[in-house]
Amino acid sequence: MYTRPAPRTEMNRLLRLALLLLVLPAAVAGPASPPAGKQVLSEVAGTPPAPDFSLTDIDGRQHRLGDYRGRVVIVNFWATWCPPCREEMPSMQRAWERIRDEGIVMLGINLGEDEDAIFEFTAGYPVDFPLLMDRDSSVIRAWGVRGLPTTFVIDPRGRIRYRAVGGRAWDDAALLARVRALAGQ
Amino acid sequence: MAGMTTRKVVRCLPAFALALLWPGSPAADASSTTTGRAPDTGLRYWEWQGDGVLFRLTQRLPDQTRAFFLARGFDPDSADLIATRCVFQSMFKNTAEAGSVTIDLDDWRILVSGDKERALMTRETWTRQWQTRKPPQSARIAFEWSLLPTRQVYGPGDYNWGMTSYGLPPRQRFDLVFSWTRDGKVFTARLKDIECTPDLHPEPK
Repeated sequence: MYTRPAPRTEMNRLLRLALLLLVLPAAVAGPASPPAGKQVLSEVAGTPPAPDFSLTDIDGRQHRLGDYRGRVVIVNFWATWCPPCREEMPSMQRAWERIRDEGIVMLGINLGEDEDAIFEFTAGYPVDFPLLMDRDSSVIRAWGVRGLPTTFVIDPRGRIRYRAVGGRAWDDAALLARVRALAGQ
Repeated sequence: MAGMTTRKVVRCLPAFALALLWPGSPAADASSTTTGRAPDTGLRYWEWQGDGVLFRLTQRLPDQTRAFFLARGFDPDSADLIATRCVFQSMFKNTAEAGSVTIDLDDWRILVSGDKERALMTRETWTRQWQTRKPPQSARIAFEWSLLPTRQVYGPGDYNWGMTSYGLPPRQRFDLVFSWTRDGKVFTARLKDIECTPDLHPEPK
């Protein structure tokens, strides 16, 4: 699934780490709070199969959704200029830190922007789950998304189980419990 | 009701007639409208809440919109075209505990005193503009997705933020009749005396 990281990738990582250290205080202060209240995921009627895709992340790695079959996958469609996307991103990182060792996959799919724009974004919003690029918007259209952010939770059999339109506090315990519960199915 | 299909006209006619004849929120059981100014920017907002939905419009200065779209790759003429078409930051949310809500912006109507009612400028309206102006692909994509979706289904807790465009000049005042569907029933409400943001260019002191 992964190709060997190119030297540029290693440089990107070092630069990102340096930027992260520079802006960490601002990032912790944060521009906005995650959505308050109950964090709801809508069940997707009929649990349709998730449309497959093959996209490159900002480090040059290819990710094909089908390669993650057998694992729960969280797929988040976002853009750097989208306020609620930015608002929920820190909670996605916190969730990722809690679930990464459980075999759950988290993929952020950026809409229409390039590596430089996303790289700059991660200086203010440090995340280390894969950020993929849907440069021509073909994947987001295939998934029937109409607004950003939209997030899907895919079960190990590759079926779409949950959908969230708008931001969520992804590190919410009850929300993560629903995601984890899919792992055994 | 130019631009609406016969089916939509028939479906929405009773609700719009009620909204027009009975100002306020005829379909609402317990609704509230709030207006005010954002303390940090001074920009005005209009918010309607009731029947399990929340809808808010907040003014955007034309310069805000110009800057946003210039940064997305539009040329100055195109950015100015968007910015001077009465753009608001908008939020629509399903606040109910259960059940989905659908919206279709093609059903919403703008009412200007002494003028015929008109439709919003949706993603599809603007797409026709870009066919002749041909902005870069990344700019077109950012534009399309920064607008409130024309059609959307909101589960409990779901919401979208996005710009809405009314095609009116700065300072124009208007009412907005907006609608949504829940459990097959069409709900309609009206926000009154909304003001398109003045095109101000503050000089440095």
